Amino acid sequence: MAAKKPTKLHIEASELLCKNGCGFYGNQLWQGYCSLCYREECQRAKVAQQEQDSKKMMKKQAEDADKASLFSKFAEKKTQHINKRAHTLKSMFKKTPTKESVPEPRAKRQVNKETQQIKADLMDYLKQFKRPTAEDFVKIVQELVDKLYQNADAPVEDLTDLVQDFYIKLGKRMDSHSLYKDLSSEDIDTLLDYAEKYITVKMYTSLFCPATCDDEQKDLQMQTQIRSLHWVTGQQLDTMINEHETEVRTLVDQAITEIIEVNSKKAPQDKLSCIVRCSKHIFEIIRQSKEGPACADDFLPALIYTVLKANPPLLQSNIQFITRFSCPSRLMKGEAGYIFTNLCCAVQFIENITHESLALTQHEFDRYMSGEAIPPQSGNEYMCEGLRLMYDNLKTLAELRQRQEKVMAEALQLQQEMKDFKENFKQEVQNVLIRMPLTIKPRKMKVNLDDDSESLDLLPSPLLPLTVDNVGMDTRNTRVRLFH
Amino acid sequence: MSRIDAKVVLLGKNYVGKTCLVNRYIHQRFMPYQITIGAAFGSMKEMVDGKPLVLGIWDTAGHEAYESITRMYYRGAVACILCYDITDKSSFERARFWAGELTNTEPKCKIYLCGTKKDIVDDDQHKRQVELSMAQPLARDFGTELFETSSKTGENIDSLFKTIARDVVQQRTSDTKKHEERTSRDGFILDDKTRQRGCRLVACSLS
Repeated sequence: MAAKKPTKLHIEASELLCKNGCGFYGNQLWQGYCSLCYREECQRAKVAQQEQDSKKMMKKQAEDADKASLFSKFAEKKTQHINKRAHTLKSMFKKTPTKESVPEPRAKRQVNKETQQIKADLMDYLKQFKRPTAEDFVKIVQELVDKLYQNADAPVEDLTDLVQDFYIKLGKRMDSHSLYKDLSSEDIDTLLDYAEKYITVKMYTSLFCPATCDDEQKDLQMQTQIRSLHWVTGQQLDTMINEHETEVRTLVDQAITEIIEVNSKKAPQDKLSCIVRCSKHIFEIIRQSKEGPACADDFLPALIYTVLKANPPLLQSNIQFITRFSCPSRLMKGEAGYIFTNLCCAVQFIENITHESLALTQHEFDRYMSGEAIPPQSGNEYMCEGLRLMYDNLKTLAELRQRQEKVMAEALQLQQEMKDFKENFKQEVQNVLIRMPLTIKPRKMKVNLDDDSESLDLLPSPLLPLTVDNVGMDTRNTRVRLFH
Repeated sequence: MSRIDAKVVLLGKNYVGKTCLVNRYIHQRFMPYQITIGAAFGSMKEMVDGKPLVLGIWDTAGHEAYESITRMYYRGAVACILCYDITDKSSFERARFWAGELTNTEPKCKIYLCGTKKDIVDDDQHKRQVELSMAQPLARDFGTELFETSSKTGENIDSLFKTIARDVVQQRTSDTKKHEERTSRDGFILDDKTRQRGCRLVACSLS
């Protein structure tokens, strides 16, 4: 099956640019084109494929899905990709007059894990309420989801209105309806949160960066703009970030990771909490780099700097998504709202950046933007992530080398010491030996006098007592002889 | 405090002491060199007629480079504290500029003019660059109240925020009254947004 279509998802290092040669970077998910060219290509393919019957198309779609699934890394983009395909597919079917080929809107529903998880959580949470209340809540939410499915192709403004009206309606209902009168305000907040999360995650593919708006184009513009601003340094933005300190750099890295993570979350509140975490890191950076309270005067430039360094994927789409589909009360007032507004400001600043905002002359600015020259002070900065990492690694390596040398030297020293010790010990032993020579005394043997041994033969035979013939003078004679 | 009832924005040139003002109000202390995290946003509960009202206070970047984007900050704000430094005339000129901006873009937002660093002037009258006689006409022009505050001594800070809280509650009650009147007259509410799409609204209410 796969052999029918050449695998274009594989990418060579040299093929990073769009195949059309338009100068933008291509993407393997867009078959090597940049998003614009890919869209055009799709349009062409659509016209060509219009004669093909729907069955064949479905097969192909499944095939694509199979292939794309190889790239688990791009799972996020993949679903989007497939969805877009389904999108074009669906709009195509609309033009065909035959009724039976129109796919049921329900067929598009994908049951994914995240949705199931949220659904399970929600159900768990609802258990504590009375049955009619829970049922009413689920019914209302489900109504909206159905409505969204029916209007999946509607302009995004209409979808936004649908969702926002829903939040207002739901909020009012929970405030006034008798079914909800037992709920505390925390419960109502949590329920609203759940509703928001469930709807946005379930409908993510049709709500996030829909084909009906130009979010994608804006993303691209933003990305290009940030890329061409690579030379902007912290000093130019008036930030106090001292990137030479390892600790600060780690925090910058953490902030960058968080802001990139925004794209991988689905629910607006999860995206927002990523942004909040990112800003917490930034506040920590400011705290370390400067004495005094971290105020907005420091925070905004630092955030701009972070966004410039991070170049987060699909930034505009994400911001638009949060603006459109998150609860307005959250967005306008709380801390998350504050930080989100700051992010919007940062993005707007980057979009409209001029030579004045960086205190440069027009000529300098143009030269830097076109890449003709780089600012003189940027030599001290780490121009790009790779270079910075390389310097970091070099430093680590040098440290390691030093340590290894130290270990080596110490090992040699130890060896020498051991040798000396051995010598000394030997010497000492010698001295002691000389002082107290070792004499081996023969072992004392127990002699058994009665033993038969050869040496006994050499001995003279034992004295034999004189035999006295005269028995009569025995005692006296004997005595006499003894005294002699 | 997860629920914020009203959004209050601080505007003013950089280094006029916006952050110190917030710190003084929220932590009841002056911390010129105190290190705080997240001092750019604060929330504080005010009691008005025995009812709590949570103010969310937004600090903004006052640098001129960010002038064009500051507009995003005061969207949806109910009150704006317009800060100027009594010892710095240029900051007062900025305040004048912002007052004009605000009345144009966010007419619902009530402005409170606030001169900061009063303690410095109290110590040495020669340092005063913005006379009360200069500030009062501006306050009158924009229908605002004028406060001269000191974050160091805490002078006038509480009264500033108490006034804001009181005004917010008053505004709310008069709004709801108007709202009720309108509702009782028309039968249902038409805000600006729905009025634009009157037909759709009817369709929705039928379904």
